[in-house]
Amino acid sequence: MRLKFLTKMLVATSVLMATTALSYAQELSLKGKTVGVTVVGTSHHWDLQAYKGQLDELKRLGAEVIALDAGRNDQTQVNQIQTLIAQKPDAIIQQLGNIKVLDPWLKKIRDAGIPLFTVDTITPHSVNNTTSNNYGIGSDLALQMVDDMGGKGKVLVFNGFYSVPVCKIRYDQLKYVMSNFSGIELIEPELKDVAPNTVQQAFADVTDMLTKFGKDSGLKAVWSCWDRPSVGATQAIEKAGRMEVRTYGIDGSPDYVEMVANPNSAAGAVAAQQPYEIGKGAAQNVAKFLNGQQVAPITFVSSLMITKANAAEVAKDFLPKK
Amino acid sequence: MSGVTGPAAANSSMNRRALAALFVRLGAFAAIGIILLYFAIYARGFTSSYNLQNVVEQSVILTMLAYGMTVVFIGTGTDVQQGGVDLSVAANAGLAGAVFVTLLNLGLPEPLAILAAIFSGMAMGLLNGIAVVLFRIIPLLATLAVMNIATGLELTITGNNVVGASSEFLTMLQFGRFLGISALAWVLIVFTIFVTILVHYSPFGVRLYAVGGFPEAARAAGLNVGFNIYFSYIFSGLCAGIAAVLIVSRLSASTLGTGLHLLPVLAAALLGTVFSRRFVPTIGGTLIASLFVGFLANGFQLLGISSYWVSGVQGALILLVVALTSFAKPAEGG
Repeated sequence: MRLKFLTKMLVATSVLMATTALSYAQELSLKGKTVGVTVVGTSHHWDLQAYKGQLDELKRLGAEVIALDAGRNDQTQVNQIQTLIAQKPDAIIQQLGNIKVLDPWLKKIRDAGIPLFTVDTITPHSVNNTTSNNYGIGSDLALQMVDDMGGKGKVLVFNGFYSVPVCKIRYDQLKYVMSNFSGIELIEPELKDVAPNTVQQAFADVTDMLTKFGKDSGLKAVWSCWDRPSVGATQAIEKAGRMEVRTYGIDGSPDYVEMVANPNSAAGAVAAQQPYEIGKGAAQNVAKFLNGQQVAPITFVSSLMITKANAAEVAKDFLPKK
Repeated sequence: MSGVTGPAAANSSMNRRALAALFVRLGAFAAIGIILLYFAIYARGFTSSYNLQNVVEQSVILTMLAYGMTVVFIGTGTDVQQGGVDLSVAANAGLAGAVFVTLLNLGLPEPLAILAAIFSGMAMGLLNGIAVVLFRIIPLLATLAVMNIATGLELTITGNNVVGASSEFLTMLQFGRFLGISALAWVLIVFTIFVTILVHYSPFGVRLYAVGGFPEAARAAGLNVGFNIYFSYIFSGLCAGIAAVLIVSRLSASTLGTGLHLLPVLAAALLGTVFSRRFVPTIGGTLIASLFVGFLANGFQLLGISSYWVSGVQGALILLVVALTSFAKPAEGG
């Protein structure tokens, strides 16, 4: 009798779970919905992966997608947002860009009654921002750098994109951590990373700075809020034979992860994100929202600190696909 | 070569060229019509009034800069290949924007900051004039050098940062509307009327065309060629200064990359020459061409074609227009 009851319960629960799973899967359909996507650019690994993550997931869920890539031009992105608003899509996903430039236009999206979802952009106008935990990434990378430096020395800092919200957070976290280590000096004036020509410019800038700060200067690290300048910096250090200087960056582009994993390279550590998953997560949040589900204001996607010490074990998935 | 010489042969050659010119002009209108029709059919929402207004708004900055380039074409040589050019106009707007935002953030009253931006633009125009008239440097090289000076100064002033700016006036320019038309579009309308009168309906405009088209004849007639060249570049600087204020209003900031406008500006100003009977630069032609470049970018966006293609198409347009006009243009004085 008891066994029969348990069997019935099990069957009922299974049916309930299957029904729930089915209805969940059905609820997450975006069939008949149009979603606009605006990204500042797709010329870097992170940008492209996050963009692809959004498009793949939106299409998989059945949405019609209007995807616009601004080619790293603020003016173009503003034009594209204006164009998207005119299309009256069911939702818009916006990825990266200068918040000072974009915020009034993001407000226009909200004012037009179109739900806005952001990737790596903090704004009061979005329903949800899908991103890495940049607070954690910023402080973890700074602490890793402090550890490698033995708590003293000089750091060259690239700070050309403070107006990009995630860079602001990472940079502020770096400053906060460093305020507790009096033996470490962040060199002023800071370097300005640029886009495009990021790697080449960083190579030239760091080559000059290595001349200015010789072997006895105490220069031990180069920090950047992403990893494109870190690639140029690493190449400059290796060319100058100044292997006492290590580079640090964020994103996890395959070429930089490969440098970190190489014991003979000057690359020290990288906070590797999962941009494809971030993009996919943003698309899923759109689906949840348009299907009447609750969406939290922030969705964090996990990241991984890859260092010289742990690269052999953990870097495999982030290395270039051969 | 045929042995036919004399007035009959000359007339026949002129007729052929006039026919070719007519063919190119009608072809240009037809091509634009076909492209716009294609967008209207296949690009979602292309013909909606909201979208059409957007395109006009998005083309205002480009058109303002293209007017500057057009006046330089008119005053320094209507032959777009051998005459003058202002490659610095877009970078000049970037610098003027940086001056405007920096002064505004330093607490300077807004009208003064705007005047300073316009003055900055005109000063760079004067520098172009000095390089071309006084130092006799070819315009292509002179304005390229000034473009680099402007970019360098912009980087120095802003420290390669995005410098934000906000004010009621800027917000009004950004989102304001009057009689259903956006503030930006009004600026374009008013400025277009002003520059059309100046260039096409004033004695000064006639002299400008004379100096640009036939400098030796103009000099012989006692016209001050140097003054008109100075004027052209300074006027281009004025356009850059006004465009800078519009850019800052649209982006709420001074950002790097304004120099990237150069290619579409050049494309619009050159394409504009196709719409005049003798393939000379005109304000109306430039307006049509700028709007077309705007519609092209918009149509590509709506069709989901990468924005990188727009640059490619603009480059191809420049090649096509220069090739076509040099083929079909009537000989000077003919």
